[in-house]
Amino acid sequence: MISNFPPGFIMIIGALLIPFLPHIIRQIYMMILILISAYSLTLGFGIHSIINLMGFDFILFQSDSLTLPFAIIFHIAAALNVIYGAHEKQWKQHVSIMSYSGAAIAAVHAGDLFTLFIWWEATAFTSVFLILAGNTYRSYRSAFRYILIQVTSGMFLLAGAIILLINDGSALLTKFDINSLYGQLIFIAFGIKAAFPLLNGWLQDSYPEASEIGTVALSTFTTKLAIFCFAKCFAGTELLIVIGAIMTFYPIFFAVIENDLRRVLTYSLNNQLGFMIVAIGIGTELAINGAVAHAFAHILYKGLLFMGMGAVLFRVGTCKASELGGLFKYMPITAVCTIIGAISISAFPLFSGFVAKSLIMSALGKEGLVLVYFMLLFASAGVLHHSGIKIPFFAFFAHESGIKTKEAPLNMIVAMIIASALCILIGIFPSTFYQILPYEINYQPYDFSHVVGQLQLLTFAAFAFICLWHFKIYPPELNSTVLNSDWVYRKMIPGVLIPLLKLVERMNQKFEELMIILFSRTKILLSNTMLKNKVFDREVGSDTLIVIQIFTVFLILIFIGQFFL
Amino acid sequence: MKALIKKFGKINSSVLLLCIVFLVFELIGHRHGETSIEDFTFFPAFFGFLSCIVIFKIGVSLRSFLMKDEDYYDK
Repeated sequence: MISNFPPGFIMIIGALLIPFLPHIIRQIYMMILILISAYSLTLGFGIHSIINLMGFDFILFQSDSLTLPFAIIFHIAAALNVIYGAHEKQWKQHVSIMSYSGAAIAAVHAGDLFTLFIWWEATAFTSVFLILAGNTYRSYRSAFRYILIQVTSGMFLLAGAIILLINDGSALLTKFDINSLYGQLIFIAFGIKAAFPLLNGWLQDSYPEASEIGTVALSTFTTKLAIFCFAKCFAGTELLIVIGAIMTFYPIFFAVIENDLRRVLTYSLNNQLGFMIVAIGIGTELAINGAVAHAFAHILYKGLLFMGMGAVLFRVGTCKASELGGLFKYMPITAVCTIIGAISISAFPLFSGFVAKSLIMSALGKEGLVLVYFMLLFASAGVLHHSGIKIPFFAFFAHESGIKTKEAPLNMIVAMIIASALCILIGIFPSTFYQILPYEINYQPYDFSHVVGQLQLLTFAAFAFICLWHFKIYPPELNSTVLNSDWVYRKMIPGVLIPLLKLVERMNQKFEELMIILFSRTKILLSNTMLKNKVFDREVGSDTLIVIQIFTVFLILIFIGQFFL
Repeated sequence: MKALIKKFGKINSSVLLLCIVFLVFELIGHRHGETSIEDFTFFPAFFGFLSCIVIFKIGVSLRSFLMKDEDYYDK
């Protein structure tokens, strides 16, 4: 019975009991929920659960070679989140994380667009509480913007699903044509969640405002769910290559000047999503394997980096590069784990990023997409700069900030060590890792050319950073706000709309005043002409009145006649 | 070597040393890239170094344009 439950569903239902359980029992209970959910993955490929409601078949549980790697990593990430958040005694965030993870896992197993829509919106409504848990005025406002944008994405998805249902009579989750209206609507829905260029503002706006536990969970599910959906429905769509290349490229510059290290990681997240989107756009078996491998590895190392910065935030109360520095002696384990995450994301050989990214770069090389290849190579150097060096360097080394603190709580350390170990194991045993990918693969990332080329690229990029820092060319980090695409709806639209509304309001007031003046003057004029010894005065003879009335009617008839005759 | 470490620091000197080692590796074996442009000797080294400088330069030049006060959105 339980095995026919869609994976993740048991986590959503089970989350309802969390508030009634005491602290440590709660964590064990959540782990059991994740294990039960993961048990459903043993059923194999195919459609396992359908329910018929109002004449429509909702495919709740469908699995194939693409869903499996995402389901595995989502379960691993959910378990890591439970460990990482174990110090949190309040139940609210745990309910949110468990139901959010469950919704994302269930969404991956949806077989039709309407089932996907339900889980799509569920991920939004369950995750918003993690942003609210930031517990600041900024986080409240950010959460409001986050939910608005996520729901908008859902509306696009629903609109596309309805049009597809009307056109084809079914809304199965399959490959869609980008040239159709429903295809475009669904593409935009996925694009919003995948933080496409100019649609990415919500990501940098909301994630850094969440709690230290919340950001780790948020970094895992929402955007990767979108990547899964693109891989499922738009693999081989060439437009994605262009969009993905832009995504890898431009967030680098924002990350370089950003001061909040968790926000730097969100730019980096955006950049990494670009690699996956490019690979999906290529659409070959090697490229799709690359996209999935990258998503899998990325969840681990990005989660690890967010865990490291979350631990710093938890202990120190800030994640601003301008206020941090010299924490290595107080938080050595956190620092080492963060460095492992940084090395992994930079794609150093023997770490997970290398074995995943190599697949995408090889796929690009094989397809002869030279320009995009070099854009991604450039982006790889950028990743090293902002995530590989900036994050650990400014938090744990750089200058002495004078902050004295202690190491992260034990549960956080355990989660970080497990994530670090997975990053290294994937890097050391790539062939085992490649076995879970959607297509069979015979690929060897560790050849002389790959390894030496990558090591040269990374060490010389690192050396460039060292030179900039050593010779004091690198400017100091400043407390600031870096403008992003969310500026459009946070500043520009209000900046245009509010004065416009004020103008309309002022015009309305003026019009009312004018009408009042006009009305009173007309009244005076009429009273002066019609009354007191004038034409309508009772003292005036009735014959005169009748003549005037007939004359007036005659004039009106002539006037009307001008229009109709 | 001692003078270099004194002037440049232990970690920085180690990175420099690694850079030289990886350049020597290329001279020992035959490295080829995914594209023909990459086949030029020491191409990844040049590309990595220059990319980092370009990223830094563009990033710094964007500061005046994109960087606002911390409470910019709260005003």
